[in-house]
Formats: sequence, C-alpha cells, structure tokens
Amino acid sequence: MNVFQYFSANSQQILFLTQAHFLYVLICVGIGSAISIVLGLIVSTGEPNPTRFSFDWWATGIREGSLLITAAVLTVPSLALFVLFLPITGLGVTTAIIVLTVYSLYTVLRNTVAGLTSVDRAVLESARGLGYGRVRRLLTIQLPLAWPVILNGIRVTTLISISIAVVGSIVQGPGLGQLLLTGITRIGAANAFPQVLIGTFMCLVVAAVFEIAFAIVQRLTIPRGIRV
Amino acid sequence: MSDTENMIVLEAVEKIYPGSSSPAVERLDMAIPRGEIVMLIGPSGCGKTTTLKMMNRLIEPTGGRIILDGDDVTDVNGDQLRRKIGYVIQQGGLFPHYSIADNIGVVPKMLGWDKNRIKERADELLHLVGLEPSTYRDRYPRQLSGGQQQRVGVARALAADPPVMLMDEPFGAIDPITRDRLQDEFLEIQRTVGKTICFVTHDLQEAVKLGDRIAVFGTGGRLAQYDSPDTVLTSPADDFVSDFVGGGAAVRRLSLLELSRLELHPIETEEKAVGNRNGTPVAEVDGSGRPVAWRHLPDRDAAGTTLVTVPLSGTVYDAVDVMLDGSASLVAVVDEEGLPQGVLHWNDLVAGLKTRERGA
Repeated sequence: MNVFQYFSANSQQILFLTQAHFLYVLICVGIGSAISIVLGLIVSTGEPNPTRFSFDWWATGIREGSLLITAAVLTVPSLALFVLFLPITGLGVTTAIIVLTVYSLYTVLRNTVAGLTSVDRAVLESARGLGYGRVRRLLTIQLPLAWPVILNGIRVTTLISISIAVVGSIVQGPGLGQLLLTGITRIGAANAFPQVLIGTFMCLVVAAVFEIAFAIVQRLTIPRGIRV
Repeated sequence: MSDTENMIVLEAVEKIYPGSSSPAVERLDMAIPRGEIVMLIGPSGCGKTTTLKMMNRLIEPTGGRIILDGDDVTDVNGDQLRRKIGYVIQQGGLFPHYSIADNIGVVPKMLGWDKNRIKERADELLHLVGLEPSTYRDRYPRQLSGGQQQRVGVARALAADPPVMLMDEPFGAIDPITRDRLQDEFLEIQRTVGKTICFVTHDLQEAVKLGDRIAVFGTGGRLAQYDSPDTVLTSPADDFVSDFVGGGAAVRRLSLLELSRLELHPIETEEKAVGNRNGTPVAEVDGSGRPVAWRHLPDRDAAGTTLVTVPLSGTVYDAVDVMLDGSASLVAVVDEEGLPQGVLHWNDLVAGLKTRERGA
C-alpha cells in the first residue's frame, strides 16, 4: 500500500488520532497556561528592591525559584520524563497529561513575568497616582498590556507541545504518537513508512489549526490601542 | 493647627529610605495656600519629587503629618486619597490600551459616576485642554503627539474635579516650543479652574513663569527658600539659593515684571505737541488712534527711529525684545485696542525701573 491507499483505508482512525492529539495538546497547554498566568500574576510585583520578608520579597523568591525549576524540567529529555512518572501515575492518559502540562509551564511563565514587568513604569506610576490599588492595576493595566507577550508564550508552548505529545504515546498517551510509534518501531515492515509519514503530516495539520486559532484569538483579545 | 487659608500643610514631614542613614527629606514644614501654584525646584536628589509624592502618599513619610484641606490624611487609605488628588507625570503616563476618553474617565469610573456623565466630562475636559472632542475622544494615546498626550494627562488629572493637583515635571520631555505653548495654556486653564497646584520642575525659567511661589530645595531635602519668584531671584535666602538661581537673575527678573506694573513715561499724539520742551515723545497715529510712527522725539531725529510697540500685558522682557529687534531705544506701550499708554526708554532699564503698587 502506498501512502494514499493507507490513508483512505484508515482515514477514520487517522482522523480520530488527529482529533485526540489536538485535544491532548489543547488540554495540557490550557491547564499549563492557566497555572503559569495565575502564578505569574501573583509573583510579578515589579518591585526591584523589595524589603526583606515583605510580600514582594517572597514573591520575588518564588518567581525566580519557579522559573528555575520549570526551566530545569524543560531540559529533561521528554522520553525520560514520561517514564519517570510511570511509577507514580502509571500507564495512560493521566501520566501523559501531567507530563505535557509540566512541559508547557516554563515558556508561558517566563513570558507572563516578562510581559507584566516590562509594562512602562510611567504607566504604572500614573495608575498608582490616580488611585489604582494593586489588584486593579494588575488586572486592568498590567495584564492587558502584557497580553500580547503572554499570548506569544502560549503559542510557542503549543507548537513545542505538539511534538512532545507524540512521545506521550510511550505511556499510552492519546494522539498521533500511537500511529508514529507503531510505524517507527516496525520501520521497514509493511505500512510502517506510510504511518510515519501520515503521522508527521497530521502533526503539521494540528499545528496549522492551532496557528489559525491563535491568529483569531489575537485579533479578538489584544486591545486596539496596542495592536501593531 | 488646620487653617482654611492653606490647602496642603506639611508638618515636620520626613522621609528616610530604608538602609539610608541620611534623610531624603528632612523635617519639612510647608504650607501651600489655596488656589496657588507652588513650584518645587532644586538639584537632582534634593527631595523635591519625594516631597511631592508624599503629598498623595505615593511615598509614605517616615515622620510628620500631612494635612489636606484641614484633614489629617497621614493615615487614611492611600488609594482613596489619591482619587481625590490630581496627578500628572512626565510623558502623561496615559494607558496605551484605553481610548483618550476612557483615559480621562478612569478616576470618575472608579468613583462610580454613571456612563453618560463620564462621557460628558471627558468631552468638556478635552475642550478645556484645546483638543476637539469629536476628533480625539476615540483615538488611542500612540496616535497623539507628546504635547497632545500631555494635555490629555492634565485633562485626566482634572477629571473628578480635585481641589489639588500634583504635577511631576509634566513638561520635562517636551520640545521647547511646545513646552512654552503648554505652559501658556496651563496658566490659562488655571485661571479657569483655580486649583491648588504643586509642580516639580528642574527648570528655573519654568518655575519663574508658572509659580505663584517657588520652593527651592537644597541637597538632603532641606527647604532652602520658599518665596515669590521675584523674591527668590532678587534676594536669595543663602549662598545655596543664589548659586542655584545663578547668573542672569537680573535678566530673568525682566520676564517677571509686567509692564502694567511700571511707571511709564507719558506719550503725546496731538500734532500741536510737536516741538514741546518737556521731552514728551509725540507719535503719529492712524485713523483708529494706533501709533504708526514718531512725529517728534526730543533729543533725536524722529524720522530715523522706528516706532515699535509692545502690549501692556507683556513683560519688560518683551519690551527689551522689541527694542533690540527694531534697533529702537524706546518703545511705545499700547493697550488691548492698540492705543498708546506710555513709553519705556532703554535708559530706564539701567536707571532702575519704577513700579507702581499692584492693582493701582
């Protein structure tokens, strides 16, 4: 069977796996981004020299600590991390989701912190001078202004996650990894090459769908005054 | 110790930053009278900005009391307090993601005004600062020039009609020509709104031009002199102030002296006055009584001297300017209708200018 014949013979299964892959990435990046943004909002104080043991001091510590840990996690080979979680959460979707979520943390957290702290000092100072409290300032000024940077972080993390998600299939995670892994382990055998090729191609399709979605979200959520 | 004359009173206010042994502002006593513009000036690091920011508690004082309009506000909620005090900073500090109207409306919105009232107020203020509401209300800050942004910054500070405005070098980052125009507009607006204004600047010219009073800060947050611009320039309290005011104080004083306050020499327009012996210059006037040329000047050739005029509302500086420009040694001072009111001679500048009592 050539690639096209394989595709038409297994189109239903392939579409199911593609769909699963898409949702798998969506869920993990969604959870990961939510955690990172909330954490980023709490720890981005914008106070360069906080007094010892004040809220800002702790926040700065937690910020640097979580950036360090999430960065370290990102450098662990994905294959190893999936396997390392096996004894704790076992085979299946749970492990797959936890690991991919953990992978998605760093980029979004880093971008959230960078975005929130890079908001023009003059804007923050005038907000304070007009009587904006800390939370109001964070949510109505800093977050909208940092949003393009945060959204870009989510976008990058999504693209990375699409390929890492493939590895998830070694712990029986969902998605195109199943197709790819079957093909790779049986390379040289019948249908192995079409499986790898189609798996790769469908990953690109998933990425394209996400890119289109991001373009729309960007258009809808970035305030007009700061759109470039 | 609250009195109704003063809008802001600082009592022994002090700021010592953590980890620093010397105070940034040292036991400062200062009273800012209602409806006046007080300029805080001094070298960098003198505590003028710290002082300003303690007035709305952006910086918490480490000692002393702040009294606003008779109420002790040293310990009230800072955010609530700041909503009642206008605040303008360099470059406006506008929120880039809000439209101009929304920027102006932020404080009224926090105070719970209804939408229509906020919208009307924004239009009213845009009008006040010289920006056409229909053109500008829906624009975003980045679509405006620096000068326009600064105007919006002032409008935003005025939005909830606070009795007090604090301004931290608002015109500092603006080109000199626009700055000059903004300063004139600012004085014009102040004539309408009559706020109590504290204004930090590092530009003595600006302090002299805008201030009813000038507070000169020395290093270490010491208030070196707190007086009218005229007094600061002509009789500095100590060596520090006189160094700070620097050379050229006498020239700068010229721009402070309004012509309407001077004792001017008389001027004649009647033809029969030509050849008089009392030294009064005679001007030739047009149909509506405005002087056009000199008909007779004692001690010199009238035909060879250009007639230059300066409005009565101008300053001695303006008079000197037109004299130099026209190579004339005397200038006719005219009123709003252009009718001659008197003459100022070049020699008067050196001989000492005679001033009349204010309001005379």
